[in-house]
Amino acid sequence: MSDFEPILTRNWNVPDGDTLKVYESRGGYQASRKALTTMDPDAVVGVVKDSELRGRGGAGFPCGLKWTFLPKDRKETLLCVNGDESEPATFNNRLLMEKDPHQFIEGILIACYATRASTAYVYLRFEYIKAYRILERAVAEARAAGHLGKNIYGSGFNLEIWLHRGAGAYICGEETGLIESLEGKRGWPRIKPPFPAIEGAFRKPTVVNNIETLACVPHILERGAAWFKSIGTPKSYGPKLYCVSGHVNKQVCVELPLGVTARELIDVHAGGVWKGRKAKAAVPGGISMGLLSAAELDVKLDFEDIRKTGCLGLGTAAVTVLDDQTSIVDYLYNTSRFFAHESCGQCTPCREGTSWMYKTMKRIKSGGGRLEDLDILQNMSNNLGIMPGTTICGLADGAAWPFKNALAKFRPEIEEYIRTHQDPSRRITPLQAAIASGVSADVAVRHSLTVLGSAPAPAALHSADGGNRP
Amino acid sequence: MATITINGDAYTLPEGEKLNAIQAAKLCGVEIPYYCWHPALSVVANCRMCEIEVGAKDPATGEIKMVPKLVPGCQTLAKDGVVIVTDSAKVQEHQRMIMEYLLLNHPLDCPVCDQAGECGLQDYSYHFGQATHRFVEERTVNPRKDVSDAIQLNQDRCIMCTRCVRFTREITHTGELHVMNRGNHAEIDVFPGVPVDNPLAGNVVDLCPVGALLDKDFLHTQRVWFLSKHESICTRCATGCNVSAEENRGSLWRFKPRHNPHVNDYWICDEGRASYKEANNPALLASMYVKKAGTPEPVAVDQAVAATERGLKDVVARGGAVAGVLSPFLTVEEAYLMARYLKSLSPQAVLALGPVPVSGGDQTFAPDKTTGRTGDTSFVVPRPFTIRGEKCPNRIGVSEVLAHFEGEVIGWESLLARVQKGEFAALYVASDALDPAFDEVAAGAIRPRVGFLVVQDTHATPLAQVADVVLAGATFAEKAGSYVNADRRLQYAEAALPPRDGSLPDLDLFAILLARGAGPVRSREVLAEVAEAIPAFGVARGGVVPPFGVVIATTPREGADAGGAAVGGPAVAESGSRFSDPWTTVWRDHGGRKRI
Ligand SMILES: Cc1cc2nc3c(=O)[nH]c(=O)nc-3n(C[C@H](O)[C@H](O)[C@H](O)COP(=O)(O)O)c2cc1C
Ligand code: SF4
Ligand code: SF4
Ligand code: SF4
Ligand code: FES
Repeated sequence: MSDFEPILTRNWNVPDGDTLKVYESRGGYQASRKALTTMDPDAVVGVVKDSELRGRGGAGFPCGLKWTFLPKDRKETLLCVNGDESEPATFNNRLLMEKDPHQFIEGILIACYATRASTAYVYLRFEYIKAYRILERAVAEARAAGHLGKNIYGSGFNLEIWLHRGAGAYICGEETGLIESLEGKRGWPRIKPPFPAIEGAFRKPTVVNNIETLACVPHILERGAAWFKSIGTPKSYGPKLYCVSGHVNKQVCVELPLGVTARELIDVHAGGVWKGRKAKAAVPGGISMGLLSAAELDVKLDFEDIRKTGCLGLGTAAVTVLDDQTSIVDYLYNTSRFFAHESCGQCTPCREGTSWMYKTMKRIKSGGGRLEDLDILQNMSNNLGIMPGTTICGLADGAAWPFKNALAKFRPEIEEYIRTHQDPSRRITPLQAAIASGVSADVAVRHSLTVLGSAPAPAALHSADGGNRP
Repeated sequence: MATITINGDAYTLPEGEKLNAIQAAKLCGVEIPYYCWHPALSVVANCRMCEIEVGAKDPATGEIKMVPKLVPGCQTLAKDGVVIVTDSAKVQEHQRMIMEYLLLNHPLDCPVCDQAGECGLQDYSYHFGQATHRFVEERTVNPRKDVSDAIQLNQDRCIMCTRCVRFTREITHTGELHVMNRGNHAEIDVFPGVPVDNPLAGNVVDLCPVGALLDKDFLHTQRVWFLSKHESICTRCATGCNVSAEENRGSLWRFKPRHNPHVNDYWICDEGRASYKEANNPALLASMYVKKAGTPEPVAVDQAVAATERGLKDVVARGGAVAGVLSPFLTVEEAYLMARYLKSLSPQAVLALGPVPVSGGDQTFAPDKTTGRTGDTSFVVPRPFTIRGEKCPNRIGVSEVLAHFEGEVIGWESLLARVQKGEFAALYVASDALDPAFDEVAAGAIRPRVGFLVVQDTHATPLAQVADVVLAGATFAEKAGSYVNADRRLQYAEAALPPRDGSLPDLDLFAILLARGAGPVRSREVLAEVAEAIPAFGVARGGVVPPFGVVIATTPREGADAGGAAVGGPAVAESGSRFSDPWTTVWRDHGGRKRI
């Protein structure tokens, strides 16, 4: 892929590439000028639709198609740009904003023109203070230069961009959680329907797009849909920013055509697995997507092929490598802790399930595991998420998938761990087991089910108020 | 007309209303369990108890295509051709899973929980859950706290359905309640210094499907299965909210709202909610009195009634004028019998309306489809709720009776002026001591001007203390009868308590005075007479009042009450059933079985 010419990252290594002057000198804002002054909004939608650009935020939904879901007779449209980027190990959006903010603003401008939105909200992850400052400056520059504001390029089209910082919750990256949060409410995802295109932010038709998705748009307008489709693999067209992290020699974010393999990313772009070790597994696209085994590293990381491995999808294309010294139990422990912490708490299966999974992993890790725990985890993960239809949003699927994949691909290792890591003080007591199976505590005691001396007292089943916060 | 298929059987749904699968199935006699859904609140589908299998039937081929995943019934529109399955193994397994999840961190302290007996967790555990679970980890225990002076929140019992939060956002628009923290540690809470103390706050306790939100007034006082529920009407304002008056061992313990889409929807106000206490007031008159040698002496009921009759007849025989004061707290039936009695004594008897207590203006809570809402609002029919400034239940009903007998409605002030001029030799005041109008000043003004004074009341008011005869009447809880609310809706209230010792319900007192004959008088028979006699009440023919009440005709008459046209939200069908969450529905007899 050495002949691949960088597109989204082409200004990254140019001095002052984040300034309007340099951006314009390298052909910036030409696509938006062309769209606003020579094209009908629907024609812009048409080009994006033809390019088959798929959303880069995780779900891979066709971008142009999403724009056509807006009601024909709408009075007002809003664009929400999803810059919450909180999927662990994902950092491409941050670089896109910090290194080339105007590319992203131009993308917003074209998207808003196409969807007739005259207000765009950029919802930024709380921690991205540097990106926020850069964007603030860039938006001011763009406004001063007439790329934003009233009657842009004399086309009669108006646009204002508002930057909004989140408050540090993963769930606010989910598009309806984002909308609720933007409205000043708690970031609890909404049920769909109604979809945001029909009733979104402030009950108005709303488009939610990821930053990288929008960054692709100016290039599609400039070079055409056919050009875009010449990059990548069937049904997965265009360039993609892949992040590689974990046990590699060099953590990187590289731009490549969609469909590169995990092995190429690790060996060619990330300098191989660290310390001369081998990869045991890799997370394909943010931890929500599940786990690739070492044998699956040659699968193409695009929207289609990745599913053949049982993973949930491409996600954010953020690959995290686990070396062969890493325990899958640790992987599951960390993953489950993340989701238990980030579950917004509204759907019963997600609220209760994620913390149950975490508590179980904590016990297994500390030496109190039982083989039957794995069946319970399997059963829980099979029934958790929007795929089985038991939750409002996809966070729960993301919580389930690591378990589904790990249990399918690494069960012998986890069983081995349980067998070899037993600490009697961490085991559940017969009393706990008895209570769970419906035997009352006093009966359990009368039938002389021994309560291990070192085990937590029965009172621990029901600890004091809030005593077990993480 | 929509035809839907539920568990293989086809049903036809009534025209008009937009129903979700839970409502449609209920109409067809199939129960889909739910927690977070409530007909007045937007659909958020967070509890996931109501999940069913959903599909569509192709009208041409009859082929059924099912959605491969489970779908919340609360979110599913029951439109033509919908196929729903509520009892498949898949659905049942899901229901067991939800019940297991909901109880993971639940204290299960039912023995000390007020909700026990009307608890959504208990009922659904029994019907849809299981006795065991697989959870052996340490529980998360969220703290208990007060969310107002009147409401306690046992967060450890909360199932995070957010009904309470949505109520304060969508119905009262006060937004005191919110969720804080995430995941397993999510808690319902208030902001510091901003308690849930809006005038409708108590409804959050009723909405809570479990024992999380608790009314401190009721806390640990009664086990709910000992309570007998009586269909009553709140008498604290002219709205006439439908309430369930809940009794045990001769006392009332609480009021709970009963759904009436034309009146109070699903709610009652806090003032009305607290008003049950008056029925248990130890200061209620416990005897009748007749004044002997200047001091009132307790007498038996028959002696007091005889003294009343004798005194009034004497006055009439001597050619003296008689006046009667009919309080707006009287039922229609009581007002009718009292008017008939006084007119039978003397056709010239003057009948007037008692004092009409007013405090402030009307206060309306007007939810709409958008304000404060976040979920799917397409099933919501927003209806306003008004707390009236007129603090009595039956001004219009009593006025209609007075207009019939008198041709006009004489107000309290004008009657008082005539009393003070010495126009009447006898005065008969029937009231219910909630109005401070019968104070020392009134007593001092009235007493010297009338020869014979009868006061029928529930309290020893200053006026009663100077009366010649005191008849101890019934509280709202001890009487049955009907009231006409501010929208001219005639509603029927059952008695919730037997008469107190030493008292007699007002209707019986009038019946005895009228010598209507042996046996207790029945309010329904009296209402039937009213319906025959007074055209406005013709809608209550046979003494029958429909469950949601009925709007009485407007008597063409100048002045006061003309044009009391119904106000409120969109028209609602007069039929339809009263909504109640399944876990609150208990058969009325003690130890009753749940209807599930
Ligand atoms: C739990 C969860 C977290 C998400 N976080 C993000 C995020 O941080 N950034 C993002 O762009 N999309 C995120 N998404 C995906 C969004 O819901 C949505 O699909 C996306 O913003 C749409 O934009 P696109 O079509 O341009 O990809 C998340 C989804 C879920 C379920
Ligand atoms: S699935 Fe989890 S994170 Fe998503 S809405 Fe439900 S509880 Fe919240
Ligand atoms: S809420 Fe229900 S299940 Fe929980 S303790 Fe109270 S009665 Fe028992
Ligand atoms: S307190 Fe009650 S009504 Fe409120 S969320 Fe919890 S369970 Fe639901
Ligand atoms: S009632 Fe449908 S999800 Fe709660």
